[in-house]
Amino acid sequence: MLNLASFVQRAQQLLDPTQGLNLTDSDRNPSKASLFQSQFRLPASQHPLYEITAELTIPPAHVTQGDKDRGTGFQYAGKLHLSEAYMCFSTTPSSFLQSASTSTSSAFTGQTHGGGPGGNGFTFPLCAIRRVERLHSQTFQFALAITTWNGIAQDAPKDKKDVREQRITIQLAGTRVACERFCDGLKKGLRAGVGNVGRLKKVVSECYSEYLLRTEDKKNDTPPDAGLGMLFRYPGDPKKLRDRAKMRLWAEYLRDNGRNITLLRQPTFHKLIRVGLPNRLRGEIWELTSGSIYLRLEHPTLYAETLAKFSGQESLAIDEIEKDLNRSLPEYPGFQSEEGIGRLRRVLTAYSWVDADVGYCQAMNIVVAALLIYMSEAQAFFLLSALCDRLVPGYYSTTMYGTLLDQKVFESLVERTMPILWEHLVKSDVQLSVVSLPWFLSLYINSMPLVFAFRVLDVFFVEGPKVLFQVGLAILRINGEELLDATDDGAFISVLKSYFARLDESAHPKSENPKLRAVTRFQELMVVAFKEFSGITHSSIAELRLKNKDAVLNNIESFAKRTAIRNLGPDSKMLSTEELGSLYDRFYGVLYERQQRDHLLQQDQARRAKSSRPKVADAANSHDDPDVERGRVGLGPSTSLMDYDAFREFLAGMAKWAISDTPPTPRRDTFAEKDKGFYGSFRKSDVNLSPWGGGPEPADHEFLQRLFRKWDEGSTSALTLQNVVTGLARIKGKRDIMGTITYFFELHDDDGDGCVDREGILRMSEALLFLSRRGLEGTLNPSSMTPALNGLADGPGTPNNEVPGQTVNERFLGSVSAFIRRCFEYADPDHLKNQSADAQEREWERERERKMERKEEAAGDQLASPDAFAIGDDEDEDQDDLLTMDSPPGSPRAAKRSETPTSGQRPPSIRLNSLSAPSVDGDMSDRRRVSKAQSEKANVALDPSNPLHITLPTFRMVVLADELLEQFFESSFPASFHINDSLGSASTSVPASPLTTFSSLGIGAGRAVGAALGGASGIPAGGRGLRGVLDNIVTDGMRVAAEVRRRMEEAQKELEKNAVPGQRNDEEDDEDEEDVGFERGSEAGKSAAYRGDDERRSVRSSDRDLLAGADAEASDTNAAATATATASVTGRTSVNSDTRGGNGGGIGGGRVAGKVVGVEFDG
Amino acid sequence: MADSANGPKPSSSVKLVLLGEAAVGKSSLVLRFVNNDFQENKEPTIGAAFLTQKCNLPTRTIKFEIWDTAGQERFASLAPMYYRNAQAALVVYDLTKPTSLVKAKHWVAELQRQASPGIVIALVGNKLDLTNDGSGSGGDAESAGGDDLGDARKVSTEEAKTYSEEEGLLFFETSAKTGFNVTEVFTAIANAIPETSLKSARGVAASHAAGRAEEQRVNLNGPRDPNAKEGCAC
Repeated sequence: MLNLASFVQRAQQLLDPTQGLNLTDSDRNPSKASLFQSQFRLPASQHPLYEITAELTIPPAHVTQGDKDRGTGFQYAGKLHLSEAYMCFSTTPSSFLQSASTSTSSAFTGQTHGGGPGGNGFTFPLCAIRRVERLHSQTFQFALAITTWNGIAQDAPKDKKDVREQRITIQLAGTRVACERFCDGLKKGLRAGVGNVGRLKKVVSECYSEYLLRTEDKKNDTPPDAGLGMLFRYPGDPKKLRDRAKMRLWAEYLRDNGRNITLLRQPTFHKLIRVGLPNRLRGEIWELTSGSIYLRLEHPTLYAETLAKFSGQESLAIDEIEKDLNRSLPEYPGFQSEEGIGRLRRVLTAYSWVDADVGYCQAMNIVVAALLIYMSEAQAFFLLSALCDRLVPGYYSTTMYGTLLDQKVFESLVERTMPILWEHLVKSDVQLSVVSLPWFLSLYINSMPLVFAFRVLDVFFVEGPKVLFQVGLAILRINGEELLDATDDGAFISVLKSYFARLDESAHPKSENPKLRAVTRFQELMVVAFKEFSGITHSSIAELRLKNKDAVLNNIESFAKRTAIRNLGPDSKMLSTEELGSLYDRFYGVLYERQQRDHLLQQDQARRAKSSRPKVADAANSHDDPDVERGRVGLGPSTSLMDYDAFREFLAGMAKWAISDTPPTPRRDTFAEKDKGFYGSFRKSDVNLSPWGGGPEPADHEFLQRLFRKWDEGSTSALTLQNVVTGLARIKGKRDIMGTITYFFELHDDDGDGCVDREGILRMSEALLFLSRRGLEGTLNPSSMTPALNGLADGPGTPNNEVPGQTVNERFLGSVSAFIRRCFEYADPDHLKNQSADAQEREWERERERKMERKEEAAGDQLASPDAFAIGDDEDEDQDDLLTMDSPPGSPRAAKRSETPTSGQRPPSIRLNSLSAPSVDGDMSDRRRVSKAQSEKANVALDPSNPLHITLPTFRMVVLADELLEQFFESSFPASFHINDSLGSASTSVPASPLTTFSSLGIGAGRAVGAALGGASGIPAGGRGLRGVLDNIVTDGMRVAAEVRRRMEEAQKELEKNAVPGQRNDEEDDEDEEDVGFERGSEAGKSAAYRGDDERRSVRSSDRDLLAGADAEASDTNAAATATATASVTGRTSVNSDTRGGNGGGIGGGRVAGKVVGVEFDG
Repeated sequence: MADSANGPKPSSSVKLVLLGEAAVGKSSLVLRFVNNDFQENKEPTIGAAFLTQKCNLPTRTIKFEIWDTAGQERFASLAPMYYRNAQAALVVYDLTKPTSLVKAKHWVAELQRQASPGIVIALVGNKLDLTNDGSGSGGDAESAGGDDLGDARKVSTEEAKTYSEEEGLLFFETSAKTGFNVTEVFTAIANAIPETSLKSARGVAASHAAGRAEEQRVNLNGPRDPNAKEGCAC
């Protein structure tokens, strides 16, 4: 039975896609709970637990309308619903909208499709039920007599005859089991509700009806606050409004049908609302029909508490509120007083605190000011909340998507119902929403004279937002003729302006019939709105909202994006607009997806929690809240901050190295579907329930944390888009190697004192390995050099070239190992006592460096002599990657030199090319410098017991001393952030390569290896595994360095002999003005050739050391991995050769010096 | 002004939109221009307000259809609806509030990229009455500004002017409260609207040349030119 019911319901939801009321992520299938809540205007905490067909009998005393049947009273057939804390009854057909089709749906849509408490019936909080008796009835199995706490605030006097207990009977129609279950549920609910009677008392005591119906003995009580109107008069002439007569009618109705919370809705109720509420009851009835009284019942003290809690605090919203306080309904005397302005300030402020997403929006001041004329501050506060959450969702949000959406809906309704007018508007290029937007946004309050606007509100609160549309359409219909004459915005507006000004005039002033003459334009408007446009229902509006939602949100989003990107500040100029656009998409995409996932996970948990509960719960729906799509920019981002986890996910979408090495999850490439619209692609895909969704699992590494902290400029543990853009712009934007090196150094300089200690050096190298473990990207010289060298210069005597697959990445490991060694050698000791001496020494060293540089520059021009730079001896070169200047006879360098013009004769064009190339000859000079400094410092520096540090200049020097490292900072590191393009589908669609051995690393090889290994296990991920290896490198580095030092000294001497100052050449002077980096670059062509050779060897030496560590972990995979890597690199290099051919001529084409050389070789 | 005796002049309407941060005085500028009035507490603009005012130039009459937009940040997404088809825009900032100039620059960039091509944009620094050079109720506007101490001015004339020149905007400093320079802004805009973009322009040739000359004069003399008062009907 239960299963069947839920099945039926599900089927209905599928069949009727138009039940959505809110913009929910279940637009097409609004949850039963949200419909239920909307129908009875209940708080979000309520879920439909039981429902049963029933007949309500209101005893004769309470009958005010219809055929009085003295015997049985007045009867209504409908559905009885039970939630956690409410019992509600509603007749299916609406009492006031006879023309609408009768729905047989058993869902909670009723006649108004969830639009509000239409129809007859009641909404009782269970705590308002005093007694339930089971009656013996012949016709029905179950009949309940319900006695309420009607008039509870009166402290029921002793003499009973004055008190009329409210007692109604309900006959349940259903199987015995169903009835019993309902009654069980009711019993439980009643028991739970007993505790809330106190709250109920407090809430109703603030209702004016209690005062209105007070007993004789309380005649002199002070009335509860019924708004500023009690102090400053209510707008309009009470006589003309027939306020007294209305009040009498209401007093009678309330006496018979219960007041405030225990009110029964009968047809008279709706009629009384349609003719306009009496001033003093208006606030209370608004509160009741909008359901905000139930919010107040839930937290009677929330308003006061909020004010107290945030007292004295400041916010942007408060600033904005202050600006508008003096200009909210300024024509009403109450708002020219401190009293009225104070109330308005407090309500708006309190609301801005409880709903920070909305905060404060202009127009809220006008709406709240209007409310405050008729109700107390607390009542207005909760009514505002009901407005923002349910009645006009999204109207006042930061993007105002609700407003824009309803304008689109309104336009389509006009097009549908008044095609001629619509055509005219289109033809004369009048934009309707320009006129109608303020109507909706301020609920007609500042469009019509106040008295009429309040009449619209009376109906709006009971029947819901469709009223706004009906009234709007009626306005256009009534003024149709004149509007057809208007041909521009101005004329259009003035027609309507003058119409609003004459709403109180007779609609038919020339009519013979005095009755017709008495009909005002406003009455005419109401009739047209609710009769002629009775077809405008919640379902038609929901349908149109659904239809237009995406377009509206996309519009808002593209506007928001445009604006956000333009406002990103000076740093953003370093990135292209496309890059900024992609960053924006990625940033909000990650936030959006994460929120969606969180939401789903929560739901999943809730479901699981529920399923473990007793069966009763099955009737409840698993949707817990009004599932508003969170995180979508167009809806007003609920967050624009990225925490560390989101940051990792964000980077993992952009950089290979940020993807975890552990379990390979197939990655869905969201950017491949770009054309579907960014959010579209997210929403259409199933959101995976893994914590990372369908994306790759991001890595977690110390480097990422550092990067996050660095970007987090305000130290708020969260990044804004601005932070991210600034952060990336500094890495990627400048294309300046010195900047990148400095950036990297600062990243590891924890205390910002310009020094990085031993630990920091290790961390740096870890970071380098971390970043390179998936291969290096960008322009890398040696890899493209290799084949050229092989082909042209390598004799059989160079065994290194037997394995052309010795990839860049393998060599990079060598570079990192050399990096550590050098760092330690050139680090400054940290001892205090050494400081002064140290400083002196440094000063002296700097001086010497300057000299050296000159010499080097001079020496650089001596390249014609191949042996000029032969430092150290060849036998040891395998171990000695510090001495890479030397070249064995017959090495590529020799070959190259024979073809390369010496620097003195080099044509300018080549120099131009090489300007952009990574500097290589600076490398040489650095090495020389290194070698000398080494000889003096290494002893101290290499002693692990001595604290030491390196400074930025040292770091820079060490980096520039290695071609690969240099290129890493020049190109590879910045290039590893893929902002625009997706990560190559190749590298992302395939499981990440486990860090098996270092030799398995290669460009593109990781993937191949991963495949080859078939998911080999037992490999430590990322950082931890590296650390062990690093220790090896360090020890090894020290040992080697010590041995090297001796020879370095010799080499140094030799070098100095060669570098005669007089040999500085002219070119040098020409380039004086240029950047040092450029000068180095200009030499690249010459030295690149040696480098290729040397790198290979040096890497091999360190490789061995590394492998010694790595082998222990995965020795058997080496062979396969290396082979694969080899193959892939070979393939790659050949491609590079082709490219070079294409670049031929070399002017401007040679991005890297190596390429220039290559061209020359090829030619 | 005094041209009514010459009989009907060619008349055309110009759509003008006001943009700028909240509470910089957009509505007040319009109110001053349209009604020659000033209200301390003006209801905030919801969506946009629509007003019209005629501006009599020597050779023609321009009818401004003024769209005065809401300034609160979240209303920004509605702006495209209002600047659609606009031939002129008044981007207003508060010269006692530097952030409002930043916002104004955003609007200028938005208009240059998104609005109709050829839109005439005027940058207006309002609330000159709060600065020393505006303290003379606009009467003594010749005083050299810039080196005033102790006034509320936070945006220098030079900064905004330089920016305006770079972007090719008209530039004025005004006070809606005193009325200083307000009509001048609208007159300058009226003169800067190219004849060709006017809807019902008749007999354009002569007035075009005049308009050009006028515009130049206004531009060169800048905001403090006391002679720049042209014949706006207000």
